[in-house]
Amino acid sequence: MYNLHLSAEQLEIRDTVRDFVVREIRPVVLKADRLDAGDRRLPIELVTKASHIGLRTLALSEASGGAGADTLTCCIVTEELAAGDPDVAAVLSQTATLAPVLFEQLMTHGQRERLFPAFLADDRYHLAFADDEPGNDTALGVNYHQPAATAAAPKTTAVREGDTWVVNGVKSCVGNAPIAGLFAVQVQTARSGVSTMLVPAETPGLTINERDPKTRRHHGCCGELILNNVRVPAENLLGAEGQSPISARVAGPRVPQLAALNLGIGRPAYDAALDYAKLRVQGGRRIIEHQAIGTKLAEIAIRLEVARAIIWQAAWAADHPGARADHSLSELPLATIAQVFTAEAIYAATKEAAECFGAMGVMRDMPLQKYVHDALLCLHSGAGTGDARLHIAEALADYRRAATPMLAAE
Amino acid sequence: MDFSLSNEQRHWQMTARKFADQEIRPISLARDAIADPSDTFDWEIIKKGSRLGFRTMAVPKEWGGQGTDFVTQALVMTELARGDSAIAKTFSQNWKWSHLISAVCSHEQKERFLRPFVEDDTFLLGKGISEPSAGSDNRLPPVDDPKAGLKLRAERHGDEWILNGEKCFIANAPVGKLFFIDARTNPNVPLRQGTTMFLVPRDTPGFRIGKVFNKNGWRFYQNGEMIFENARVPNANVVGQVNASDMKSKDVGDRSGGDIFGDLELAANALGVCLEACDQALRHARTAKQGGQVLFEQQMVQLKLNKMHMLTEALRAFVMRVAWEHDQKMNSGCAALAMNFSSDAIQEVTELNMEIHSGAGCAIDPAADKLVRDAQIWTHLAGDSVQRMKAARRIGR
Repeated sequence: MYNLHLSAEQLEIRDTVRDFVVREIRPVVLKADRLDAGDRRLPIELVTKASHIGLRTLALSEASGGAGADTLTCCIVTEELAAGDPDVAAVLSQTATLAPVLFEQLMTHGQRERLFPAFLADDRYHLAFADDEPGNDTALGVNYHQPAATAAAPKTTAVREGDTWVVNGVKSCVGNAPIAGLFAVQVQTARSGVSTMLVPAETPGLTINERDPKTRRHHGCCGELILNNVRVPAENLLGAEGQSPISARVAGPRVPQLAALNLGIGRPAYDAALDYAKLRVQGGRRIIEHQAIGTKLAEIAIRLEVARAIIWQAAWAADHPGARADHSLSELPLATIAQVFTAEAIYAATKEAAECFGAMGVMRDMPLQKYVHDALLCLHSGAGTGDARLHIAEALADYRRAATPMLAAE
Repeated sequence: MDFSLSNEQRHWQMTARKFADQEIRPISLARDAIADPSDTFDWEIIKKGSRLGFRTMAVPKEWGGQGTDFVTQALVMTELARGDSAIAKTFSQNWKWSHLISAVCSHEQKERFLRPFVEDDTFLLGKGISEPSAGSDNRLPPVDDPKAGLKLRAERHGDEWILNGEKCFIANAPVGKLFFIDARTNPNVPLRQGTTMFLVPRDTPGFRIGKVFNKNGWRFYQNGEMIFENARVPNANVVGQVNASDMKSKDVGDRSGGDIFGDLELAANALGVCLEACDQALRHARTAKQGGQVLFEQQMVQLKLNKMHMLTEALRAFVMRVAWEHDQKMNSGCAALAMNFSSDAIQEVTELNMEIHSGAGCAIDPAADKLVRDAQIWTHLAGDSVQRMKAARRIGR
């Protein structure tokens, strides 16, 4: 049944997060030293405060100590957090998404017993998925409409020595790497196929190098893992050997959480432009009363509303698989569609908002250029919107790829 | 029709290209990356370029300048901007006001100001118009609000004018030695009838430079505040007539209401940025591989490269046509349209370059990123709604 009312719980969570953003995030992130994209550290104390109100464990079931939030609720939370700060939103969204996948769906009872209590008890404990390697090729590109000729095995290896696995290799672009307590690392063992190894951050031999925020094309924080004879117990193999239960390499996101983050970036840009247009007087009247500015603001509002509509639809579809099964909704990759539309719409919207400010729109001590930069990162994250279009095109043609993604991949 | 360049024009183009390749491009990214906006500037590149004539391109030969035509100026700006858009703009900002000096300053003023400008490799020019409460109102003064527009006040006291007020977003303010300053000499009438232009040297008593603005693009190009506290300017420094500051178009021969050099300048500079973006994209597409093939093999990439080159070549045709029309004294709304178009073209071309550079790895390509940030400057200088409506009004008038 078509019904866009949010539940009482969803409204409450949204308003709690919105209030948290106003009280805690805004006063910190709108200071001049956070506005310069080239000089921006993750405000980890804000992430921890947000964890404290339950945003890190949002999607875990209530039985596990979480809030049992569905995809739509998680998207609403991510949008609200990103309207405060996209880095905070990215970090929490990644941990919150990985937590139920790892602890509730994929781990054995024994693994969960060993690893879950530490996660649950510590507001600063985050999760990371280490897949990318330097020089590897994650774009669809030349493999469009044909089996990936280059489905390269990970160069990171895990060798069994008695009761332990010895892991060696380098992983790059690992989101949350500098703050994660636990990594799910994609490795190659003696058996063909990719395997996943659970590697706690404090394991000897593991070095984590944070990527300079100046150059990263990624919200949140990310870094490189160097695994040098890292030994983990045999029981840290996640799923079966050679059959990694996680694959983010294929086919784009399953849930539109990055699109929700992207939408959140557009919100404060719109709010700022609207407030300014109501105050600034040029041409004898407030600039919102000029057609030129009024229609620009209308354009931004259109982009935000349409983006939210497709994000919510994709999120709701992820929560209600039956709606696709009975053809109420399209079978197309709605989350990818939401990601492409939102990336382009919000980048355009932030530029339009900046234009309303004239020269102030390009100054580093003003927030508008930050919103433009943040939106640009979304537009060019991963292999870009062009590559995402290829994934949609394959779906249109009913071209099926082998692996099914478990995670929201960039 | 004849699109060929004269030997002199080609010579200037080649000199500028060589200077951009050998001197400008090698320092461009490092200057852009400097965090403090006051430290991005480099006098050495200015001196080197000045010695080659790039500071005095628009000063007539009889006054010791290069006396180049608009076609040459467009060619040189484009070549310099290929190396670095902001460094190119630092040079051409001087041409803009050299045109004005040649056209409207008295012989005595030229002796006092143009001569030292030509002789000193570190003599840069600027002009102060914008103020905190007057941006669009200066470009498009509202007919129903005569008080709108700049507020900097100038009052006559004997042989001097006393200036009080402030300017913001003034190019070259932190590094210039001489500024043209628009000030209200009659606050009771509309802007165009009550504003006078003054020549204000940097060492004028009561005049100082305030903060340096921290722009996200055009990092090298200095931009600052100006503060006037009982600044004393001799009456001999009034440019043209009192209450008649709007001279940069009609007194240099353009009756269509445009900024004869400024429009061409932004379009020609954008062309340089677009050409650089095309070079970067093509180089990347021919070398970077995906799935074992160079990116260039992919249809998606070819279509992006097509669009980049299509827009860039269209802009080149438009820029050169406007430059040629200026040399023939055929001034029209086309100059403003070329500037507006350059804003659209530079956004799309630099963003497509960025798209071609996305893909493997998790780092932003710093060179592609710089072009995108530089391009965003056009959105409020050349492609904002006021500049577009101005162009439409010139056509519709």
